[in-house]
Amino acid sequence: MTTAWTNRLENPVSARLRDPAFTGYLGLFLGAFAAFLAIPPIEARTLTWPVVVGIAATLLGIWTATRGRRRLGYGAVATGVLGIGLGILATRSGTENLHAVFDPTLIAQTFGFATPLVFGAIAGMFSERSGVVNIGLEGMMLMGAFWGVYGADKGGNWIVGILLGAAVGALLALVYAYFAIHLRSDQIVGGTAVNFLALGVTGYFFVQLYHNNYVPNGVSTIPNIRIPGLSGTHFFGPAIGNLNLMIWAGFVLVIVSYVVLFKTPIGLRIRACGEHPRAADTVGINVYAVRYACVVLSGVLAALGGVYLSTGNIGGGTFIANMTNGRGFIALAAMIFCNWRPAGAFGAAVLFGFSSALALRLQVYSASAATLFNVLPYVLTLIAVAGVIGRTVAPAADGKPYAKQ
Amino acid sequence: MTEPRHDANVSPEQAAQTGTLAARISLTHRAGGVAVPVVTVLVAFLMGGVVVLATGHNPLLAYRDVFNGAGLNWIFHPTTNIADTAAYHLSQTLLATTTLILTGLAVAFAFRCGMFNIGGQGQYFVGFYVANWVGFALEGMTPVLHILLAIGAAVLAGAIWAGIAGVLKATVGAHEVISTIMLNWIAIWIGEWLVADGGPLQDPSQPFNPTSKAVSPGAQLPVFWGSQSLQGLHIGIFIALAALVAFWAILNRTTLGYEVRAVGFNPDAAAYGGIDVRKNIIRAMAISGAFAGLAGALDMLGYIYQFSQNDIPVSAVGFLGIAVALLGRNTAIGTLLGALLFGGLLFGTTHGLTSNVISPELAGNLTYIIQGLVVLFIGADVLILYLWNSRRRGRRRRPPAPSAEAAA
Amino acid sequence: MPVLRRFRSSIAAVSDDLVLEMRGIRKEFPGVVANEDVSLDVRRGEVHALLGENGAGKSTLMNILYGLYRPDAGEIRLNGKPVTFSSARDAMRAGIGMVHQHFMLIPVMTVAENVVLGSEPVRNGVFLDQRAAMRRVADMARTFRFAVDPDARVESISVGQQQRVEIMKALYRNVDVLILDEPTAVLTPQEASDLFEILGTLRREGISIIFISHKLKEVLEIADRITVLRRGKKIETVPRQGATEASLARAMVGREVLLRVEKPPAEPGEVLLSVEGLHVRDDRGLEKVRGASLEVRAGEIVGIAGVDGNGQTELIEALTGLRKAEGGRIEVGGRELRHASVRHTLDAGLGHIPEDRQRRGLVLEFSIAENVALHDYREAPDSRWGWLFPSRLIERARRLIEEFDVRGGGPLTPAGALSGGNQQKLVAAREISRDPKVLIAAQPTRGLDVGAIEYLHRRLVTERDEGRAILLVSLELDEILSLSDRILVIYEGEIVGEHGGEVSEEAIGLEMLGGGQRQVA
Repeated sequence: MTTAWTNRLENPVSARLRDPAFTGYLGLFLGAFAAFLAIPPIEARTLTWPVVVGIAATLLGIWTATRGRRRLGYGAVATGVLGIGLGILATRSGTENLHAVFDPTLIAQTFGFATPLVFGAIAGMFSERSGVVNIGLEGMMLMGAFWGVYGADKGGNWIVGILLGAAVGALLALVYAYFAIHLRSDQIVGGTAVNFLALGVTGYFFVQLYHNNYVPNGVSTIPNIRIPGLSGTHFFGPAIGNLNLMIWAGFVLVIVSYVVLFKTPIGLRIRACGEHPRAADTVGINVYAVRYACVVLSGVLAALGGVYLSTGNIGGGTFIANMTNGRGFIALAAMIFCNWRPAGAFGAAVLFGFSSALALRLQVYSASAATLFNVLPYVLTLIAVAGVIGRTVAPAADGKPYAKQ
Repeated sequence: MTEPRHDANVSPEQAAQTGTLAARISLTHRAGGVAVPVVTVLVAFLMGGVVVLATGHNPLLAYRDVFNGAGLNWIFHPTTNIADTAAYHLSQTLLATTTLILTGLAVAFAFRCGMFNIGGQGQYFVGFYVANWVGFALEGMTPVLHILLAIGAAVLAGAIWAGIAGVLKATVGAHEVISTIMLNWIAIWIGEWLVADGGPLQDPSQPFNPTSKAVSPGAQLPVFWGSQSLQGLHIGIFIALAALVAFWAILNRTTLGYEVRAVGFNPDAAAYGGIDVRKNIIRAMAISGAFAGLAGALDMLGYIYQFSQNDIPVSAVGFLGIAVALLGRNTAIGTLLGALLFGGLLFGTTHGLTSNVISPELAGNLTYIIQGLVVLFIGADVLILYLWNSRRRGRRRRPPAPSAEAAA
Repeated sequence: MPVLRRFRSSIAAVSDDLVLEMRGIRKEFPGVVANEDVSLDVRRGEVHALLGENGAGKSTLMNILYGLYRPDAGEIRLNGKPVTFSSARDAMRAGIGMVHQHFMLIPVMTVAENVVLGSEPVRNGVFLDQRAAMRRVADMARTFRFAVDPDARVESISVGQQQRVEIMKALYRNVDVLILDEPTAVLTPQEASDLFEILGTLRREGISIIFISHKLKEVLEIADRITVLRRGKKIETVPRQGATEASLARAMVGREVLLRVEKPPAEPGEVLLSVEGLHVRDDRGLEKVRGASLEVRAGEIVGIAGVDGNGQTELIEALTGLRKAEGGRIEVGGRELRHASVRHTLDAGLGHIPEDRQRRGLVLEFSIAENVALHDYREAPDSRWGWLFPSRLIERARRLIEEFDVRGGGPLTPAGALSGGNQQKLVAAREISRDPKVLIAAQPTRGLDVGAIEYLHRRLVTERDEGRAILLVSLELDEILSLSDRILVIYEGEIVGEHGGEVSEEAIGLEMLGGGQRQVA
C-alpha cells in the first residue's frame, strides 16, 4: 500500500507538485506572503505584487480543495484573499503608521502573547487526549499567575515562583480530576466550578496577602535569554534575540509533547484512553491512572503558562485580579482549532498571539477597530467547529466518564 | 427466559452510560429532592468559612455582616422607608436577584432540554447592548412603546445569539458548550468595541472615558421602591417573576415544552413520536438565550442606563446563572431561591458590606469561592445516584409512591 | 444463501490433553439464572463449538471465562491448574483471548498500533519502536495468511479485516485458547470462508478455539466437538462425527410442553400489510434484509421466527419508517409507505410496540399521561394552538390504565417507576388505543414476568379478533408457535419458510438455523 511519502520518494518533483498537502501549504504561505509584501521590511507600495501573489495563493487553494484536502485548500484560498485585502490596506496606509505597527519587535511580542496560550493549549491537549475535557484551564492558569508571583516575591527567586505555581496548578487539577474521574461528575460543570474557584481563591488571597492590591516592585522575574551575536542585528535582534526563557521553554514543550504523544508507548496509551477506554482497559492499561496523570499534567502546564504571564516579561512581576482574562479559553480554542495536535496548537497559539499583539498595535489607526481584532481567535474557532473548513475531530471518548465493569 | 440485558446486543459502552444529560439531572432531581441543594450550600458555606478562619477572620461574624449587607436583616424590622439601611440593602439585593432569576432560567431551560448553555453571559451582554442602543436611539417615543421595543429587541438579540449555537449543534453537531463559550467572548469584545473610542455606541461628549450614551428617560423602567436616581428597585422584578411563570408554563403546558423536554430526555423516543429533533434543539437554545437577553435588557433599562469598557469584564451574572440553575435543580421555584441566595451573596459581599471583620474585596471573592464549591459539588451527581440507588433497593417491595414531578 | 466451502480437517490430530476445564459454573443475574451448573472442557488444538439459541447462556459463560464476570459457583482450570480471573487482563495473561462481537479496536489508530497496544516494543528505552511493531505484525500476517496492511488505519479496513486484527491481538499475546463470539454475524460469506481457513491454521499451531454460534451449518463445518446449551443448562457435548443438523436442532430447541394460548381459529380478511422484495441496510452498510416479502391479513397473527441478527430489527425499522429501505414495496391498507416518515406511517394506521421499550417506546422521565400522548399530543383534545391540556391527558391515561390493567402508579407516575411488564402494557395500551390497522409487536414480552406475558398474549388475540392485522416478531419460539396463525421464518434477511399453525418445533428450529430444505453448494 503506497503512501504519500513513498510516492514522493519515487518521483520527487512531479509528485510533489501534485501532492495536495504540498500545494495547500504553499498556498497558505503565499497568501501570507502577499500581505507580507506590503509591510515593512519589504514595504511594496504598489498593489501589483501582493495581488499577483495573492491570486496565486487562491488558485493553489482551489486546486488543493478539489484534490481532497478541503480544509487546507479553503484555508489557502482564505489567506490568499486576505493577503490581497491586507495588501490593499497596507499600501493605502501611511508609512509611519506601518512602521509603528510592523517592526521586528512585533515578532517578539507575538511570541510573548502566544506563550501562555501555547502552555495552555498543550495542557488542554494532554488532558483531552486522555479523554477528560478540561475547560478549567483558565482557572488553573490564573492560579499559576498569582501563586507564581507570590512565590517569586516571598521566595526571593523566580524559580520558587515557578515551583509554587506548578504545585498549585497540580493541586487544583487533582481536585478536578477526582471529581471528573472518580466521581464521574459532569466535566463541563466541574471545569466551570474550577474557574470560579480559581477566581475566588486568587482574588481572596491577593487581597489578603497584598493589602494594597499591588505587588511591590522588584519581584524577581523570569529572565530573558540574550542570544549573543544576534542581538546586535537589525532584524533578528529585536525579533528573537532577547526572548524570555519561558518562550523558549514553550518551543521545547511543543516538540517534546509531539514526541511523547506520537512516538512513545505512553503517548499511544494516552491516546487509546481518549479514543476507546474500554479497549485500552482490556489490554491492561490502567485508564484511571493515565487520566489522572494527564489531568494533573495539564494543571501544571496551564499554571506554568500563568506564571509566565505574571512573572515573565509581559506582566513584569505583578498580578492584577483576573489577570488571565480569557486566555485560558483562547488556549482551549487553539487546541480545538487544530484538532488536538501539538504542532497545530502551537501554530494556532502563535496566530492568536499575533492577533492579540496586532490588536494592541493597531490602536495607532483606530482604537475601536483594534479592539474588535481581539475577536479573531473566537471567530476562527467557531468557524472551525462549524465544520466549514472540515470537521474538528476530538478524541472519541473525550468527556465521557469511564466506568470499569 | 430471555438473556439479561447485560448480554444483549448492547455494547458495553452503552451499558455503562447513564443516559442523556437531562435524564441524569432529572434522576438527581428525584433523588433527594430539596435536601441535596440545602446540604450542598451548607457544605460550601462551611468550607468558605474554613478559608475565612484560616486567614485570620471570624467566619461567623463575617457571615453575619454579609447577611446584613444583603439586607436580609430587614426581616427583623421591616419597613418600606428606603432611608433605612437594611431596606436599602434589601432593595439592592432584589435588584441583583432580578437579573439572576433570568440568567438562571436561561441555563435551567437549556438543561431541561438536554443542553448546557454556558453562554448566558454573552447572551446577557447582547441583550444589554441592544437595549442600550434602542434605549437612546429612539428618543422621544412614548415610554410604554419605547420600553416594549427595547425589551423586545434585546430578547430577540439574546435568542439569536444562543440560536447560533443551537443551529451549529442541530446541523453539524457542534457541542454547544464550545460554541457558547466562543460566543461569550465574542460578545464581550464586541461590547468593548462598541464603546471604545470611536465605537458606534460611544458617547462623543466623553472622549476621555469611553462610555456609551445613556438610555433616554422615556425608556427607563419605572422604579417603585427607592428613588430613580439612586438605583431603586424597578418593575423589572415583576417581569422576572413573570418570566418564572412563563418558564414553568412553557415547559409544562405547551406542546413546545413537551417536545423540547422529550428531546432532552430521550431523543430516540421523541423521534419515534414524530418530533423533529433538530428543530427543537434550535428552539430550546433560542428560548434559553431569550431569557438571558431579557436579563440584559432589564439591567440596562432598569438601573445601569449606560456602560463603559470597564463594566464589561467585571460582570459575572451569566456565570452565576449557572450556579443558580444547578442549585435550583432547574426548576422555577429552585431558580428563584437560588437567585435570592446568590443575589444576596453578590450584593451583600460587595457594595453592601460594612464590616470590621472582613473587607468587601475579600468577601466578594468569597462569593466566588462559595459559588465554585456549590457548582463543583452539584456536578458530582454520582454520589447522589448512589444514595438514590441504595434507597431504591430498600423500597423494592412497596410500590413507589406517585410523585408530582410533572407539576414541577 | 452463503456458500460454505468444505473445510478440510487438519492433519494434526486433536490431542486428548485438556487445556481448559470449566466445572459446575453457575451465574445468576437479577431475575434469571444465566448459567446453571455448566461444564465444558476443551482439548488442545481443537475447535469446540458452543451452540444455543438466544438466551441460552453462551455469551455469559464465555464472559466468565474471559474474566469479565465472576461466577457464583464452579471452577475453571487451565492446563490442570485452577485459576480465578478478576479482570480481562488476568485472563489474557493466562493465555485466553477473546474476539467480541463488538470489536475493541481504536478506529483512528493503525493496525499495528492496535495490536501492540499495552505491550509495545521499545527503542532506546523511551521511544515506541514503530518499525518493530509493524514488522512483527507483518510477520504474523504472513504466517497466518491474513491480508492486512499493518500501516492501515482500522477505520478504513473492512469488517473482516478488523476481525483479523482482533485475532492478531490475541496471537501477539500468545494465547492458548481463543474465544470467538458469533464471528460470522458481521461477515460476508466470502469473509466467513476466509475466517475458517484462518481457524484451521491456528489449530495447526496448537491453539484451541471456542466458537460461539447459532448457525448449524457452520458449526458442522468446522467444529471438532459441539456443546449445546439451552436455557442456561448444558444439554450435551457431541463430536462432529455423527451429529446432524436435525440432532443438533433437537438438542437446542428441546422437547418441552408448549403453553398454547386458547384462541379461536383465525378468520383472515383482506390484506392490510403487504411487503415485497424489501432491501434494508444496517448502520454499517451491510445488507440485512435481502428481498423479504410477506403479507398480513386483517384478523390474523403472523409470526416471524428467527435467531437474533437475521434482519428482523431492520425489517421492522423499515416498516415503521425509522430506517430507509433501499428497494421493494411496503403497503399498509393500500397506501404505499416505503418513503414515509414515522409520522405518516403512524397516521396511515400502523401501530408498533417496539422491541426496546425503554429506548424507543417510552420517555422514562415523563409521566404515564405524557407518554400516552407521545403520538397525539399535537392534536385536540390533548392540545389546541400549542397549549396543552394536562387534564385531558390524565383522563385518557386513566382510562387506559384501567383498561389495560397497568399497575404501579397513576397517570402522574413517571414511567420509569413502573415494572417492565407494566411499562410494556403501557406501550401496548398507547399503540392499541390509536386503533391501528396493522400492529407490529417486536419482542413484546421480553424481560416480562409470566403474568404480564399472559396478559399481552391474550390481548394480542383479542385485537386480532377485532380485525387488526398483527405482525409478531419474537426470538422466543414458544411465543411464536403459540400465538401465530401463520409462521414465517427469517434467515439471513430472507423469508425462508412459511407454515400454518400446526408445525413442529424441530422443523421451524431447523429453518431458523439455516437448515432444512436449503441447498448447500
